[in-house]
Amino acid sequence: MSAPLLEAKKVSIRFGGLKALTDFSLTLSRGDLKGLIGPNGAGKTTAFNVLTGVYAPTEGEVVVAGERVNGKRPFQINRLGVARTFQNIRLFKQLTALDNVRIAILPETKRWFDAGRVQALKRGSGVQRALGAALDATDNYRDWWRAFLRTPGFLAEEAVVTAKAEELLSVMGLSHRKDELASSLPYGEQRRLEMARALGTKPNVLLLDEPAAGMNTREKADLMVLIRQLRDQFQVGILVIEHDMKLVMGICEHLTVLDHGETIASGDPALVRKDAKVIEAYLGEAPAHVA
Amino acid sequence: MKSFLPVVAATVVLAVLQLLLGTSEYFVYLTSLVGVNVVLAVSLNIINGMTGQFSIGHAGFMAVGAYVAGTTSLILKDDQLSFLPPAVSDQLFLLLALLLGGGTAGLFGFLVGLPSLRLRGDYLAIVTLGFGEIIRVVIQNSDGLSKSLGAVPGLSLVGSFVGKFGGALGVSGVPQRSTFFMVWFWVFVLVLLARRLADSSHGRWLKAIREDEVAAEAMGVDTTSYKVRAFVVSSFFAGIAGGLFAHFVPIINPGSFTFVKSMEVVVMIVAGGLGSTTGAIVAAVFLTLLPEGLRSLFLQLGGGDASLAQKVDQVRMPIYGVLLVLIMLTRSQGLFGTHEAWDLWKRRKPAEAKA
Repeated sequence: MSAPLLEAKKVSIRFGGLKALTDFSLTLSRGDLKGLIGPNGAGKTTAFNVLTGVYAPTEGEVVVAGERVNGKRPFQINRLGVARTFQNIRLFKQLTALDNVRIAILPETKRWFDAGRVQALKRGSGVQRALGAALDATDNYRDWWRAFLRTPGFLAEEAVVTAKAEELLSVMGLSHRKDELASSLPYGEQRRLEMARALGTKPNVLLLDEPAAGMNTREKADLMVLIRQLRDQFQVGILVIEHDMKLVMGICEHLTVLDHGETIASGDPALVRKDAKVIEAYLGEAPAHVA
Repeated sequence: MKSFLPVVAATVVLAVLQLLLGTSEYFVYLTSLVGVNVVLAVSLNIINGMTGQFSIGHAGFMAVGAYVAGTTSLILKDDQLSFLPPAVSDQLFLLLALLLGGGTAGLFGFLVGLPSLRLRGDYLAIVTLGFGEIIRVVIQNSDGLSKSLGAVPGLSLVGSFVGKFGGALGVSGVPQRSTFFMVWFWVFVLVLLARRLADSSHGRWLKAIREDEVAAEAMGVDTTSYKVRAFVVSSFFAGIAGGLFAHFVPIINPGSFTFVKSMEVVVMIVAGGLGSTTGAIVAAVFLTLLPEGLRSLFLQLGGGDASLAQKVDQVRMPIYGVLLVLIMLTRSQGLFGTHEAWDLWKRRKPAEAKA
């Protein structure tokens, strides 16, 4: 096992008096396929939101690729290699499938000023900070000039972006939909498009929030194959939130069970399903699914 | 360089038109008015339509551009580049003034945008409205501001510059250097920018913010920075529009840049279809020519009596209102929705290329 790419260390989050998540710990390394389950309102999506920077943890810390990311903005955490999908599908509805994926792909623009040095300046004293910001802005607005003038370098970068996006669409079996609006795709394809988009950001870890919701049995079976394939093909660590026990038990190599924001069990799926507390809190409600 | 071809072609076409039609005073005045409104509408569309951030203070940035460019030209009125024909020299000085005006407006856009673009929806609209009015009211009281600025060491130059704004009376005597060529050259540049931006990664990031800010952020788009950038570019072009305006109207005063002017531009882009540059252009042209058309219609109705025609400005806003209500009832996405005229042409092209 390699070093963790994403790690939550005793993360707690409180909204006013409500404890949404308590002492949540988790590690995700390259090639992992883990599951996060729990009854409705257990705090699963809250956990995702903390891991991706939508909420800052009240206590504890989140570490991405060795860097503490508490209080960092979602886009910064994404650039460190964490991508996600959403429970209630959040595609860019009025844009085409191709554009949805292209948005996620960062063009490989050669910047005039070294990004690392600019960041170092920005952390420095007053004058250095101003200089850093000015250099950064120069490069940023230069991008727009290049887009306006359509320089050869710019066109080449854009062609690479489009090619990458088309490749991802084809991996997801969506090539034939590339010019259609995201909102016009069937539900299952929207879910797959969201995954393609997440992969476009070149993540090290992929967080899938209920990827099987609303899918029929056959689509779910295909999804299980697809998730494994993504893990192997893109060498990512995957964390899945899912209600469907068959799917979770079928693909996950490790489970964390949440209830009322607390981790009540975690470990091998076969052991977790036998855990008394889990059965009481969750599986007990629907024994038919487990059997 | 294929990318520059449209610019070269447009320059030639505009230059020819300038030589053919540039002498007709009414034609130049009317096309300049239309051109300025097109620039305002298309630039506001970058922030309101493409990025989905509802700003309604565009006239404020136009005012900044108008005053800075106008005053610059006023100061440099008698300067000439002796090695060039006077007309060309005038245009170069005009360009300089415009860039100064646009740049200052862009700077104001940055200062206003940085704090206010953290707000969303109605809140942002109210803040931009407020800033637009603040800019106008400050200009209205420029005499006092000029004195205060003049008292600050190092800012005396800025103080005397602001002193020429003339308060509520405005600035008169700005050389009438604006030409058909210069106005429509900027229209062309902005439309090309809007189009090329929309079809690039950067434009797609703006559209991502419009569609779903949370998802855009999760996909690595620095939403705050991109919103500010869109706002700065939008303000820059509003400043250019103001600068052009200052060079063909006899007088610029704060009354030209009120909330009504901002709303006029908002009506244009909403009627044309938020997010459609084509829509912004068509609506701007139509809504600018409408009062002119009404004016000549009323002149005929009144049998040459001008008093009826002068009432056009009073009925203009109610007509706008009725038009907008009609459009919203029958076609709520605006005339063009988010479609562009050139998409029709583009969609055919890849098919041909493959064949």
